[in-house]
Amino acid sequence: MNTASLTHLPVELRDGAKPAFWQPVRIVGAVILLALLAFAFVGPLVIGADPLFQDYLAVLVAPGDPAHWLGTDHFGRSMAARLVHGAQLSFVMAFVTALSAAVPGIALGILAASRGGWVERGLVALSDIVLALPGLLLVLLLMAFAPGKFGPLYLGLALYLWVEFFRVARIETARVLALPCCEATRLLGFGPFYVFGRIVLPALAGPMMTLFAFAMGSAIIAVSTLSAIHVGLRPPTPELGAMIVELMPYYSEAPLQVLMPAGVIFLLVLSLQLLAGRKS
Amino acid sequence: MSSEIRLENLSIKTRDGTVLVRDVSFAFGSGNPICLIGETGSGKSLVMHAVMGSLPDELICEGAILLDGENLLALSAAARRALWGRKFSLLPQEPSRSLDPTMTIRSQVAEIYPALHRASWNDAKTRAMKDLQSVGLDHAARSFPFELSGGMAQRASIAMAHAAGSMVLLADEPTKGLDRALCDVVAGMINHEVSLGRAVMVITHDLELAMQTTGMIGVMRNGVLVELGKADSVLHAPVDAYTKSLVAALPSQWEASSQNTHEPGKPVIAARSLGKSFGERALFKELDLTLRSGEITVALGPSGCGKSTLGNILLGLIKADFGTVERPGNLPAFKYQKIYQDPPAAFIPHQTLGDAFGDLRKRHGIDGASINRIFDDLGLEPGLLARRPDAISGGELQRFAIARALLLKPAMLFADEATSRLDPVSQKRVIDLLVAQVRERNLALMLVTHDHVLANKIADHVIDLSSLSSNGEQRTAA
Amino acid sequence: MKQLIATRLFQLVAVVLIVGSISFALMYFLPGDPALRIAAGRYGPDMMDNAISDMVRAELGLDQPVLFRFLAWMGDLIRFDLGHSLVSGAPVLHEIALQLGYTLWLAALAFVLALVIGPLVGAIAGLFPGSIFDRVSLLVAVALRAVPPFVLAIVFMMVFGVTLRWFPTAGFGGWSNMVLPSLTLALGLAAMSSRVMRDAMSEVAASPYFAHGRYKGLSDRTVVMRHGIRNASLPVVTYLGLQMVYLVEGVVVVESIFAFPGIGHALVHAIIARDVPMVQGTALAMGGLFVLLNIIVDLMCLRLDPRLGRRAA
Repeated sequence: MNTASLTHLPVELRDGAKPAFWQPVRIVGAVILLALLAFAFVGPLVIGADPLFQDYLAVLVAPGDPAHWLGTDHFGRSMAARLVHGAQLSFVMAFVTALSAAVPGIALGILAASRGGWVERGLVALSDIVLALPGLLLVLLLMAFAPGKFGPLYLGLALYLWVEFFRVARIETARVLALPCCEATRLLGFGPFYVFGRIVLPALAGPMMTLFAFAMGSAIIAVSTLSAIHVGLRPPTPELGAMIVELMPYYSEAPLQVLMPAGVIFLLVLSLQLLAGRKS
Repeated sequence: MSSEIRLENLSIKTRDGTVLVRDVSFAFGSGNPICLIGETGSGKSLVMHAVMGSLPDELICEGAILLDGENLLALSAAARRALWGRKFSLLPQEPSRSLDPTMTIRSQVAEIYPALHRASWNDAKTRAMKDLQSVGLDHAARSFPFELSGGMAQRASIAMAHAAGSMVLLADEPTKGLDRALCDVVAGMINHEVSLGRAVMVITHDLELAMQTTGMIGVMRNGVLVELGKADSVLHAPVDAYTKSLVAALPSQWEASSQNTHEPGKPVIAARSLGKSFGERALFKELDLTLRSGEITVALGPSGCGKSTLGNILLGLIKADFGTVERPGNLPAFKYQKIYQDPPAAFIPHQTLGDAFGDLRKRHGIDGASINRIFDDLGLEPGLLARRPDAISGGELQRFAIARALLLKPAMLFADEATSRLDPVSQKRVIDLLVAQVRERNLALMLVTHDHVLANKIADHVIDLSSLSSNGEQRTAA
Repeated sequence: MKQLIATRLFQLVAVVLIVGSISFALMYFLPGDPALRIAAGRYGPDMMDNAISDMVRAELGLDQPVLFRFLAWMGDLIRFDLGHSLVSGAPVLHEIALQLGYTLWLAALAFVLALVIGPLVGAIAGLFPGSIFDRVSLLVAVALRAVPPFVLAIVFMMVFGVTLRWFPTAGFGGWSNMVLPSLTLALGLAAMSSRVMRDAMSEVAASPYFAHGRYKGLSDRTVVMRHGIRNASLPVVTYLGLQMVYLVEGVVVVESIFAFPGIGHALVHAIIARDVPMVQGTALAMGGLFVLLNIIVDLMCLRLDPRLGRRAA
């Protein structure tokens, strides 16, 4: 067993250098994500097919067909067009949701940490209330108002996801503000804007980027999951989760058509999680 | 049963041939301990791990380490491992981190008996209690490590060495992170082990600890043993230049600084009947204090006595529970500056020093010439400005911190344990510079420290906070 | 300990408040006649006629202030008066009691399975960082974490149910119906906890006290068993708190995909059918399950880490 080999190494021999931001894992994540973005946003221009156009003469065509290079589904709709639009929809939904969660979450986190007192206590209690239920349950309950609609889906997700931004931003801001370098900077005559701009915001940037990528991943999972259990977006919208469930009955005849949207979800979430790096 | 360890021309190399330790030879044994002194990176811990047989595989030892005549370097790794506990015990640095946080100390002592002496668990528990008794910890047998003080944890690890019954004891920086008063206790415990007939080797950067041991002292620098001799002769008649500077840097060897000979300066801060408590515990009350320009006031006391709190109250960073702080002359807040204990923590981590000083210039309209002059005075290399705080040694960074404060032409400086994280040579340099600047610029300096000797060497006034917490007296050194 | 009880009590109150007020809002703001809906919820849809709905309308008085109606609603909830399903007409409590049994079995099975797989894989990987086992388990874990539970469920259903025909794919006829749903949940949970355990284990193996155990003369085996496992379990157990979110969400999803007759499945059905009393009842049950799981995790933490217990005392 060579497990503890580094332990024996006296401190003076250990490398204390900080790891760089662009570690191999992050680069792999970024490359996959860029490829998917090209697929989702350049793809529609290349493919040109309508994701809703049904062709009953070409139902469940296997991928590799000259006219339908990714095949067709049970209504004869182009899988390529549906996947491209589905990826676009997932990404845009996730990005908008994460942004709507991040902006108030970070702002309130900074506010709570710098103001303290009842402002902080109130906001923390509010975030605890939101966290009392698992996120998906909260979103499900809101979906009951209008199943299949964008509005409650987006609102419910943002309502849940802001909490993580708030919590981390609050803790990180409080930690940074308590550092001697903040006190020292103030003593040297610099104002609060300098302290925020030069110390707090740079310290927040890294963790917030990580959280943002994770939040997007969670949103993609949540949207596709809800659609798969018939509560989220509904057919014929080319939503990846709904597509999987729609195609499930035809699994024996066209297994690839079921797996392709699953593959796109997997790659989207994977690339975001890799890009996020370690959650810590 | 006595033991002797003899190192003959021990060298330690990495696989790619870099020499980390070169030709170290010394011996220690029962009744004849050795203390290796050196800075971080001097190779002293490599030597200790070579003796223990716990160097990582990437490092190669040459020469010989003889235990009662048998060359340990000839043994296989497994055979050396078999000596752990049985022949060698190691007193870990920061023992509270070296004890399993989720197990009572009695269990951590007891588990040695089944492992090394084939004892039954019942037997082991009784014998563990005796070991704890021998170090005066029987009352804390059922405590978890987080419930022990640093000194108690150190005693618990000695109890473990007793349980193992090994005759060779290697102590790795045993006073790291401990208060001066506790250091004396630890030194006493180590001397006790020597008197029990164990072969003891201590590695430390703490010259004061070395002074309290009785055997040999070896001084290491850059992987070489530069001086070896009886403790007395090394400390009183050092031969090597580095050893000389090390000994000279000890506060007890300093020349007393020139006392303030001017007229009493004008007051810059006057505090009246200050009181502060944390919870139930009163740190101080009814404390009167005036800081005057050109004078050095030292606040003295063990950690937690409230000396840093006092300084922060004077600076207005913390509110006192009672009393008032007056600042005659209505100077702006930035005329009262602070030097921090941990130099890197006081700088913005991702900002180069050049940017930091650039922003300071802009904020206060300081001209370049005065920056250069101060860097000159403090012996600072402008080339370092391109670096970030973490790429600069602690001593240099602390001098940059002083430069930063002096640029604002302060009326008062509060140095909060400003040298306690520095090595002795850097400490002396920083203190010398501070004292010189105070005299030259006619500043009021308040210095917080736990080091009595240092305090008495430089202070115009001493406030001893350890005696102050109960009554309101202020003891002043003449 | 007091702190823990207070936290979980607060959580329970929050669950009741959120579920109660959303259900109340659903009852009044969904399209259609709320009085009719409330009457059906109280007495069951079979008993419905205009006379009863008029009685309800008069009694509740839709002209009453909203706050009053809300308090009455919450009052019923606190007395466990959850009404009748608008679809089946059966009392909500009765339906839930049946479904909760299935869900508890599923959750417990998944939880135990995950506790066996995750920490075991993680501990081995953590003791041999950089080994083939470590790398393969890392790859599998990273991949599994990027797969939403519903996709995993569908893949299992297709492979083990449709293609191999090893296990049934839907409904509940016996223990064999539990295999695929619980395995789906357990693998997702284990993918996360194995990495936490792995990192914790390698951190413990690099800790001063682990090294000191060896210096004391203990064998590797003894050091791992006595000083490794327990300490490495601490972060895992703490992390279980977060995993409970995954478990409860996963129960809803997996039950729906496998048409497993538990609470989660019922909740989704109630939402689609806008069966408000059932939505409220099942959501309360899921929320209660979540609080309960968190309490179990709290107790495990207390048991493992003496620092928590002593500090509280």
